Order: sequence, then structure tokens, then C-alpha cells
Amino acid sequence: MDAEQQLQAIKQAKVLMVGAGGIGCELLKTLALSSFQDIHIIDMDTIEVSNLNRQFLFRQSHVGQSKAKVARDAVLRFKPHINITAHHANVKDPEFNVDFYKQFNIVLSGLDNLDARRHVNRLCLAADIPLVESGTTGFLGQVTVHMKGKTECYECQPKPTPKTYPVCTITSTPSKDQFEGGGGGVSLPLARNFSLPLARNLLTGTISLSCLVHPCLSFSHLCTPVLGCFILFVHCIVWAKDLLFSKLFGDKDQENDLNVCSNNATSSSEHAEDVFKHILDEDIEQYGRRIYDHVFGYNIEVALANEEAWKNRNRPKPTYSSDILPDKLIQQIGNLDNGATDDPSSVSAMGSLGLKNPRDIWNLEENTRIFLEALKLFFGKREKEIGNLTFDKDDQLAVEFVTAAANIRAASFGIPLHSLFEAKGIAGNIVHAVATTNAIIAGLIVIEAIKVLLCDTNSYRMTYCLQHPSRKMLLMPVEPFEPNKSCYVCSETPLSLQVNTHRSTLRDFVEKIVKGKLRMDFPLIMHGSALLYEVGDDLEEDMAANYAANLHKVLSELPSPVTSGTVLTVEDLQQELSCNINIKHREEFDEENEPDGMLLFGWTQAPPMNMDNSLPV
Amino acid sequence: MAEPKTKYDRQLRIWGEQGQAALEKASICLLNCGPTGSETLKNLVLGGIGSITVIDGSKVEAGDLGNNFMLDESSIGQSKAKCVCAFLQELNDAVKAKFVEESPEALIETNPSLFSQFTLVIATQLVEASVVKLDRICRRGNVMLIFARSYGLTGLVRISLKEHNVVESKPDHFLDDLRLNNPWPELKQFAETIDLNVTDLVAHKHTPYVVILVKMAVEWAERHGGCLPSTREEKKEFKEFLKSKTIALDEDNYKEAIEASFKVSTPRGISSNLRQIIDDSAAEVDSTSSDFWVMVAALKVEFIANEGDGEAPLEGSIPDMTSLTELVTGFVISSAVNLSRTLLLSSYDSETIVLLYTYKTDHCQLSCRHYVNLQKIYQAKAEADFLVVEQRVRNILKRIGRDLDAISKTNIKSFCRNARKLTVCRYRLIEDEFNSPILPELLKLLTDEDYSVAVGFYILLRAVDRFATNYNRFPGLFNG
Ligand SMILES: [Zn+2]
Repeated sequence: MDAEQQLQAIKQAKVLMVGAGGIGCELLKTLALSSFQDIHIIDMDTIEVSNLNRQFLFRQSHVGQSKAKVARDAVLRFKPHINITAHHANVKDPEFNVDFYKQFNIVLSGLDNLDARRHVNRLCLAADIPLVESGTTGFLGQVTVHMKGKTECYECQPKPTPKTYPVCTITSTPSKDQFEGGGGGVSLPLARNFSLPLARNLLTGTISLSCLVHPCLSFSHLCTPVLGCFILFVHCIVWAKDLLFSKLFGDKDQENDLNVCSNNATSSSEHAEDVFKHILDEDIEQYGRRIYDHVFGYNIEVALANEEAWKNRNRPKPTYSSDILPDKLIQQIGNLDNGATDDPSSVSAMGSLGLKNPRDIWNLEENTRIFLEALKLFFGKREKEIGNLTFDKDDQLAVEFVTAAANIRAASFGIPLHSLFEAKGIAGNIVHAVATTNAIIAGLIVIEAIKVLLCDTNSYRMTYCLQHPSRKMLLMPVEPFEPNKSCYVCSETPLSLQVNTHRSTLRDFVEKIVKGKLRMDFPLIMHGSALLYEVGDDLEEDMAANYAANLHKVLSELPSPVTSGTVLTVEDLQQELSCNINIKHREEFDEENEPDGMLLFGWTQAPPMNMDNSLPV
Repeated sequence: MAEPKTKYDRQLRIWGEQGQAALEKASICLLNCGPTGSETLKNLVLGGIGSITVIDGSKVEAGDLGNNFMLDESSIGQSKAKCVCAFLQELNDAVKAKFVEESPEALIETNPSLFSQFTLVIATQLVEASVVKLDRICRRGNVMLIFARSYGLTGLVRISLKEHNVVESKPDHFLDDLRLNNPWPELKQFAETIDLNVTDLVAHKHTPYVVILVKMAVEWAERHGGCLPSTREEKKEFKEFLKSKTIALDEDNYKEAIEASFKVSTPRGISSNLRQIIDDSAAEVDSTSSDFWVMVAALKVEFIANEGDGEAPLEGSIPDMTSLTELVTGFVISSAVNLSRTLLLSSYDSETIVLLYTYKTDHCQLSCRHYVNLQKIYQAKAEADFLVVEQRVRNILKRIGRDLDAISKTNIKSFCRNARKLTVCRYRLIEDEFNSPILPELLKLLTDEDYSVAVGFYILLRAVDRFATNYNRFPGLFNG
């Protein structure tokens, strides 16, 4: 390749980088050193302490600041004459629409979650801009080139559903493990043909449940050594994090199983409606103890009342805070006033209780203290956030609360307790990350990007960075896969849906298919020219009322009836994705095997795991 | 700060506290801080290496700015080592960073003892003659050396040290240590307490496959003159035999047993790799031997030949078994409504979910118990093996005149757990590689599709270095 021509292509290129994390820092540096002149970066994250072991453009003093902006400034220090534009924003924001994408020659992605990756994929397809996608986890990494019509798109191979419970099944079924990253996690189709032991080896000795690479790689095997116990503890974590934590600190309107109280006759008025509500002027510790006694005491008693269920098994022990901690906590909360820690993100129940080592396993009393103290700190120091909090593994106080709650529940069920360090790994699905792999992957991204800019289509490679079991090589380049002809994202093949049009409502269709399977966030549903449904912030009131009414109607009774043979058009204007769905009426569905009550065809489900998959030759 | 190690959290989950401690103890010397060397140190500094010493005699020139992000315009004219060192220090204040503004080539000539203080020397872009000298210095001082050269988009890295012993080698494919081919008495006794001929389907399908295999192997041996299946025919027959014991279609534990049936037939005793290590002359220990070889010696004559019954110490952990299934809370929660009907419960609050969940896992109780018991038996055997090895180690330490407690319990335990996977790497002197390359090996690799490109570059880079040594310039430079 002519070096001058290559340099010209690089200098004229306008590049969009999404993600300024582990890969992003390395990538931005390498782009700058490779003479790229015009780079845009989008990242909504701010810098965390746990980024500093690899995201070398950031320093301790930058904690809390925008990753995109700090990264830009750091690179401009050694390359002052290039243009870098930083967007501290969510890549899914509407300002980043197709027209925005069209100004670039190439998009380079180092994102950490599936949802954003999907979004970027769809926009790149709509704008017809090539995308180089990447991911790393520990010593594993991958780079792929996605170019409309030439190679597969990011969604040609089905991806696991995120936001399900990180339940590690003891069997080798892929089930519903969670794949969200945390440090540039790999969620790419690394392999249809990746061997489990190989990947396992790279991670041996960890307790993480993160299923790094593909649904085919359920790393349940990492849960040694106390597998039996661990599995059950996972459930305590799920309970503490997804039910209790979000009930107390998250969106109050969210449907949440803890919300629904027992309808048993035994339920007294005290336990009737919202026990979780903080009564005005109620002492916070009092409130904490009320919650404690409700979830660890009363609820367990209710459960125990069903004698039948506890035959042949260990009965859980109801736990009440006054049995564990008869006296009121010492006023640690007093340090609220002396303002030593003004930064709400640094408050810690461990800190105020003098517990230091995150690897220690707290006893029931310590867990109870942490539970109450963390709750107090949330209400005392971070009250503004209550109602909007979602669990974040880098939120120390949240991790403390969840660890304590999970442990108290575990104690009540006779399950061994775990340390904060372990609990954090489980709750956060923490992805391991080191600088070296990110550096290698960033280098590969730039190599692929240069090929794309030179239109050297035949040289594109999908490259895995891994320890191959037999070949003594670190990098494994393979030719990119062709587009999947039945991919609903990048091909025009219509989908078809079997549904009982007299029984299923528009809401069922929206929730189960449009959002659940097609992953659209702002869908618009049309039947011919009739608009049936639309999501958006700027809807006319009467239209919004119309759509709301439609949601409750069964398909065949919509203003423009949907029956067998109807073709529905479903679009997401932000993702610039549109598909047609052929509707076929079907009367009966098997409740167990077809729980949705409808079946979508032309949409590929994540494949079952096959442990014997071997690497391609 | 409640969690002082937060910064290293993501990597601690890969290499653990031991790995981190090794990093933090290490002191690294970098020769020449061009882009390759600087990048290397950057990754080590971020990870929390103990200390670094950057040695480079050159000043920053305009041409350095384009390829090394640690330098900016204000660095021009200053010592490159000083600028790079300052940047690295900024990355992590826990690292002790020093620099020496002198040419590495000169130091190798004039001050060879300088290098003995380091754990590891990373030499980049050194000329051939200096590499050879440095290698000898490091070998003598027992300092590890990594030599790297990069050239455009190609490069090479060479490790050089006398011997590198790995206890936790974490190999890619390794058979679990179930000892099905040679069960010890306690495991056999446990298997005997479980009746495979129960008619209760639930009990039948929740017997761990390890138990099934131990029992079936005994039955088989009784019918085959004490021998386990070994030929292909016999192995097939053994699988059929297992299949004949299933009483329902969905017995995953039997499917697992059939899949794992080859483990019964694996040869007894230690692997050839381990045999090679214990037969190594270094296993004849004296007071100068390393801890690693003392433990190998304990393994060798003492353990394997006696208590070990020809085997290495048991690892003590067992894999997942399908006998414990259906533990999917997520599923249970999502289908809580459906299931509550079955349970005649009128509501589904969180506790109902527990009920549902436990209902669903009712069948698991039995297998859970089996699994845990089995786990205990493996752990007990591993612990017993460890205690024996520990005693042997202490005896040897006494014999060779070292402190009885010179090797910690933790280290011996880790050694036992990984005994089957020990790895010993030895490296030739770089001088030997240069002067007497193993030609047949190179020729073989050159014709191998996987390696031909890499080996081609290896030869080219060697030629470049030789050219540079002979002509005092790099090839092609006269073209501008
Ligand atoms: Zn596609």
C-alpha cells in the first residue's frame, strides 16, 4: 500500500469514536499518534477510581469528570494541532441521529453494553457508515468490521438479552445470564466456535459471573469452590439488588414484586399498603428497622405459615433487628454535620462503622449495622437521589447495602455469608479489565479502520485476541462473516408473527415483540397509513390518549383492525430501523413452551450452548 | 477510603492478591524509552508495579513527538528518560519511578553490576552485541530479561532467564481431578451407600454422575477380571452398560456419566510432563535448591511412591453436575403468576417467590445433599494429601539444613492443588540462539502455515540487527 495515499486517507478522515473507557483511551491515543486529524468522541460516563488501572488518560484528580472531555484534553496535550470534539452525552440521545452519523467516514466503537452497541449498529446501517466494533474482558478481546451489505452487522448473530437476572445455573444451560460489561466488556459473537475451557482458563480463580463473550459461554464453572452455596447466595444478591434496593431507592412507580403485599387474612393494617414508605418526620433508623423487620422478619413468618412448603427442608429463621441490635446505633450519623465528606459519592457505611477490609465476611450483627447505617446515609446524605437510583457496582454505599441485605437474608436461610468483595463481583457482574488487552485491541481497531478508509475490502479481518489452546499465537484473524440474510436489522426480509388477534392486546405486542425482541425504544406502529401507536415526548394530547386507549384493545378490535394477513410496519425513528411484520392469526398457544402467547419468525433466538464447539481452523 | 484497592479492583479479579503482591514487589528496569518501552511501562505502572527505573541517554527531538504520547513540545531538548519517567509517575503515585540519563549500551559496558538490583530488565531497541552482553549479565545475577525490538508494524519479544517455575500454570485444557480411574477407599465407600437401583425416579435422576461412574466401574471390573474398560470396544460397551441403567429419558446425570465415561479409562498415575519434572536432576535437592524444587522432591520419592499410590496429590474440587438443576430464580420470578396457581397461593409477593423457588427446587434437595457430601469427600482427601506432603517438605528442609518453616503452608497447599499442572520453563542464552540456531526447528516452522509468516519476520529482524551491527546503520536508510 502506498504510504502517501494511506496518510492522505487518514488525514482526510472524520472519525466518530463511541466510548472513552478502557478501549477508548487507548484508541484515542493511537488515532492521534497515527495522524488522524478530526475525531469526535461520545461518552456519557464520568471517571471512577476503578478506571485508573487502565484508562491512562485519567488521573485521580479527574474522578467525577466527563471521560470524553478529560480524554480530549489529555490527548490535545501531546497532539495540540488536531481537532477533537468531545460529547459528554448518551450515545442514544436524539441529537446523534442519522444526519449526525453521515458526516463521518467511519465509526469506531469501544462501548460497554449491548444496548448502546445495538443502537450504534442500527444508526451506522441507516447512515451507511462502516463500523469497527470491539470489546475486551480480561485477556480476551475482539475487533470486527461491520459494513452494510459486505459483512455481517452487529446484530446478524442474535445477542443475549441484557437486564435479566445474573443467575448462574449450575447446569451448563445458557439460560439468561447477563452480559453487560463494565470495562469494555465483550459482547460480540466471539464465537460460535469458541471453546469454553479456553476462556475459562483465562479467568480461573475469579468468582465473577460475567458471561463475557457469548451466550455459548456460560461461565457457571467459575463459581467454584462452594458451588452449592454460591448458587443460593446469588439469589440473595438478586433479591437484595433487584427487589429490595430498587424498591427503596429506585423508581417508586416501577412494578416490583416486593411492592405487592400478601393478601393473606393475617396481614394487619400495619403491613397493609406501603410499608416501604418513609413517613414524614420518622426517625431514619426507626424507618430502617421497620423495613428490616418487615423483609427479614414478617415476610419470612408469612412464608413459614405455609407448612406444606417447608416439609423436607430447612425452615428459614425470621430475623428482627431488635434481636440482633437491641440498642440504637451510636450516632455515627453525627458526622453528617461536620461535613468532612461533602462528596455524596464517597459516603460509606463501612467507613463510618470502621470496617476496613472488603474481603472480611461480616457477621450478622455487622451486616445489620451496615444495613441500617447505609440506609441512614442514603437518606441523610443522598436524599436527592432517592427515587432515581439504580444499582451501580461502583457506588460504594449501594454495594454495602446490597451486601448486607443479601447476607442477612442468607443467614436467615442458613446459607454461608460472603464478603463485600465477593458480593460486589456477583452483583455488579464485574468484567475484568487490564490495560494490555485494551492497548492491543485499540491497535487492531486502527489497523482495520485504515483498511476501511482505503476501501481495502478484501483485507478486512475479524480478530480475536486470546490464548489459543494449541496454536502458540495471541492474535487470531479470520475473514469476516457475510451478512445474515434473515437478519431483521440489516436485511429487508419481513418478519412474521403468529398471534391470537382476538386475545392479544396491542400492549402485549408492544411489550413482548417490539420492545422485548426487536429492542426498539421509541417505536411507531403503522397499519398501512393508519398510525396505531407511537412513543415520544412531544405527542399531541389527543393522540397520546388515542394510543393509550389502543394499548388496551385486542389487535382485531383496533381502529384499523389487525387480522390474519395484515402487514404491520414497526419503526424506531431514533434507531432509524424499520421492519414489516406479517400477522398470522393462530388460536392456541402452549402456555409452557410459548409463554408470550405469540411467536415471531424470521428473528433468530440466541443459540443453545454447545460445549463441544471448537475453534475454526 | 473504605476500599483502598478500588483502583485495582478489575485486575485483582484476574490475578488475585498473590499476583498483585508479586507485581507490587517487583522492580523493573527499562532500557531505552522509545514508544515500545514507554508503552510497556505504562501498562505495568497502571497495574501498580513496585518500582521502575528508566535508562535512556538521548534527548527529546521533534521526531519523537509524533510517536510517543508521553512527550510534548515542551519536552524537546530535555532528557527523554526524565520526561517519560515524569509522565509515568503521574499515572500512579504508588509506583517508585526513577530515571538514569545514560546510554544503556554504555552502562552495559561500564557498570554491569547495576542490573543485579532489578527483578526484571526490559531491553528495547538494543543492538545485537549489547543484548548478548546484557543477557549474560542478567543470567549471572539471576535477573529476568525481556528483550523487545519493534520495526514498523512488526516486532519481536524474547524472554530470557535460566529457569521459570510455574505452580499455578492454569493450562487451557485440563481434565478435572476426579480419580475415577483410581478411586480411593473413602470415595468407594461413599458410592456404596447410594443405591442406583432405586425405583424412585427423582432419586434416580439426582445421583451425581461421579457416583454413578464409580459404582459402574466397580461393577464392570468385577465382570472383567478386575480390569477397567480400556480398548475402544470396551469403552463403547461401557457406555452401553451405562445407558442400560437409565430409567427415564431426561436423566441428565446419566447423560453426563456417559459423556464423562472416558475418565474411568484414563491411565492411572502421573502424566509424562510431571514425570519429566520429578525426574529432573534439580529435584536432587540440597541447601541451595529453590522452594519449588524442595516441594518437587517431597512429591517425588516421598509422596507419589507412598501415600499417593502412584498419583499426585488430589486437587479436591469437583465440577458442576447436572444433578443440581432448575435453580433459575429469574425464570421463577417471571413465571411466578403461573406457578402460584399450581401452589394455590393467591398472591405473589417476594416470599411467595421464595416458596415457588423452593418448590421448584424441591427435587434438588436430595442431589444438593449428595453433591455437598461428595464435595466433602474430595476436600478431605485433598487435605490429607496436603498434610502428608507438608510433613515430607519439612523433613527435607531439615535434611538439607534449612529452617523447617522456610516454606509456608499456603505455598505448599497451592503446590499440592496444582501438582498435576506444574510447569518448568528454561530458556537458552540469547548468545546461543544467535550463534547456533536450531535450524531443523526453524525450517519446520517456515513450512507451517500457521507460523511461516512469524518465522519469516523473525529471520528478517535478525538480519536487520546483523546488518546494523556490521554497517552501523539500518538497511534502507540511505534512501531517505
Ligand atoms: Zn444484520
